[in-house]
Amino acid sequence: MRHVPRQPREGINVSATHPLVEAGTLVAGLTAIFIAIVLLLIFLIEVVLYFVPAEKEAALFRDWLPVDLVTVSPADERLYQAQLLVDRLAVYWEESPYEFRVEIDDSAVANAMALPGGLIVVTQGLLDAVESENELAFVIGHELGHFRNRDHLRALGRGIVLSMFFAVTTGSDVSGLGIKVSDLALRGFSRRQEHAADEFGLAIVHRHYGHLDEAWRLFERWHESEGNASDIVAYTSTHPQPDDRIRQLESLAQREGWSMVGEVTPLRW
Amino acid sequence: MDSATIQYFNLFMNYGWPLLLLLTAYFIGTYIEKRHFRRIREREDEYRSMPVVTFDTMPDDWRASASTMVSGSIVVSLDYFKRVIAGLRSIVGGRIKTYEPLLDRARREATLRMIEDARRQGYDAIFNVRLETSRLANSRGDGNGTAGVEMLAFGTAVKLGSRFSRPADTT
Amino acid sequence: MEASTAYAIPISNTESIPGKQIVEFYGVVTGNTVRAKHIGRDIMAGLKNIVGGELVGYTELLQDSRQEATERMIEQARSMGANAVVNVRFATSSISQGAAELFAYGTAVKVA
Repeated sequence: MRHVPRQPREGINVSATHPLVEAGTLVAGLTAIFIAIVLLLIFLIEVVLYFVPAEKEAALFRDWLPVDLVTVSPADERLYQAQLLVDRLAVYWEESPYEFRVEIDDSAVANAMALPGGLIVVTQGLLDAVESENELAFVIGHELGHFRNRDHLRALGRGIVLSMFFAVTTGSDVSGLGIKVSDLALRGFSRRQEHAADEFGLAIVHRHYGHLDEAWRLFERWHESEGNASDIVAYTSTHPQPDDRIRQLESLAQREGWSMVGEVTPLRW
Repeated sequence: MDSATIQYFNLFMNYGWPLLLLLTAYFIGTYIEKRHFRRIREREDEYRSMPVVTFDTMPDDWRASASTMVSGSIVVSLDYFKRVIAGLRSIVGGRIKTYEPLLDRARREATLRMIEDARRQGYDAIFNVRLETSRLANSRGDGNGTAGVEMLAFGTAVKLGSRFSRPADTT
Repeated sequence: MEASTAYAIPISNTESIPGKQIVEFYGVVTGNTVRAKHIGRDIMAGLKNIVGGELVGYTELLQDSRQEATERMIEQARSMGANAVVNVRFATSSISQGAAELFAYGTAVKVA
């Protein structure tokens, strides 16, 4: 038995496929599958929403409060006035099954949220930013619009379902990426919801005050102070840009022939 | 910082940075890999004349005058790009082609180190070579990261008797 | 599920091919594959972990991997001009979550 030095051919244990090609096909294929499944899940959420009508939701969440909410004192005058304003405006949504409650969040960032069960949360920051009751009424009307379209449940449902789906099917490295990709896709949808809520809010303001003076002054102030971010940034945020919203509202007002001037109601606190 | 800058920053952190990391890992990793393969081929050519076999009994005509165990090992880590690809693969199944070059060169490197170990001590041939792989546990505990993979090659090295000290002679 | 074990050249996990003599030997040849299971097998395995028993999906996966690794080893041997591989050994190890590496190695020889 004799030793004859020989070498095997190079590359037998290595595939010829270029790693970027493999990465590319995997990513493309899986993205397509993910998108299909995400759309399916969204459809399922719609089905669930159909079977949980607003009345049932209102009954289930009647006294619910989120655990991390830090509120102002119940004796706060603004809380009382805000609740009265909400009650006055809610009248214009005749079929509403909700008994709307208002809470004021301690945060200094201007924000307003529609939460299950007819809970409207506005922040201190928002109350400090508004300069007339008309502005606040528009914000509340916008949130009422969300309730009417049941957007708050959609967003909640989607968030939960998508996180669970990605956590189950992939390892931690990939699930983060998967969530980011689908998040991006869903933000376009959110902006449509925001415009629909804006229009509902504007209609309510018009019915209550008879005019639209100062209704979206808040957006105009934001637009003036911060300018507009570029298109990419706009695309990736959940709310449309202020000037975009103003344009939509102006065109709606024009279409309906609503009056733009009238006596502005001051804040009552 | 105004909100536009904050939003740009968030955008970068969420999408740009992971992508940058992936591409950097890919390009640098590929360069290092090619260089390593070249070095491996050079060294394999150098040691090709040395008999290395998996027979578990020594061929009679070797007439060993001394023997010892020799081993060579290497621990490699799986880079970020490869782990992401493997994660995607484990959904659809199939060969993870990006791991193959890494494991190939790790094993050849471990074998070369074993051979170099034998050569350094003056031995001429190795038999009963065994190759082992083991995964090093990750101290992070999120279950998915891998600290590394160890390749071990070990065998019995012998000094050959006089007739076969230069086995590259043809007969 | 029977594995098809017809190989292009004779291989054996002993010193030599029974009934033949080794004339020349060339060196160590290896073949390896790294495979990932797909999500279906994972789910089935998860269920099986509750009731116990053979994980058929995984058995098939590793059988296919072993076949492929052995074939790569044989390809290396043939490219060296060998016509048999002896002292073949197998090793299985897990590389990362969901990926198993299987390799086969042996000595490429010429038998007569």
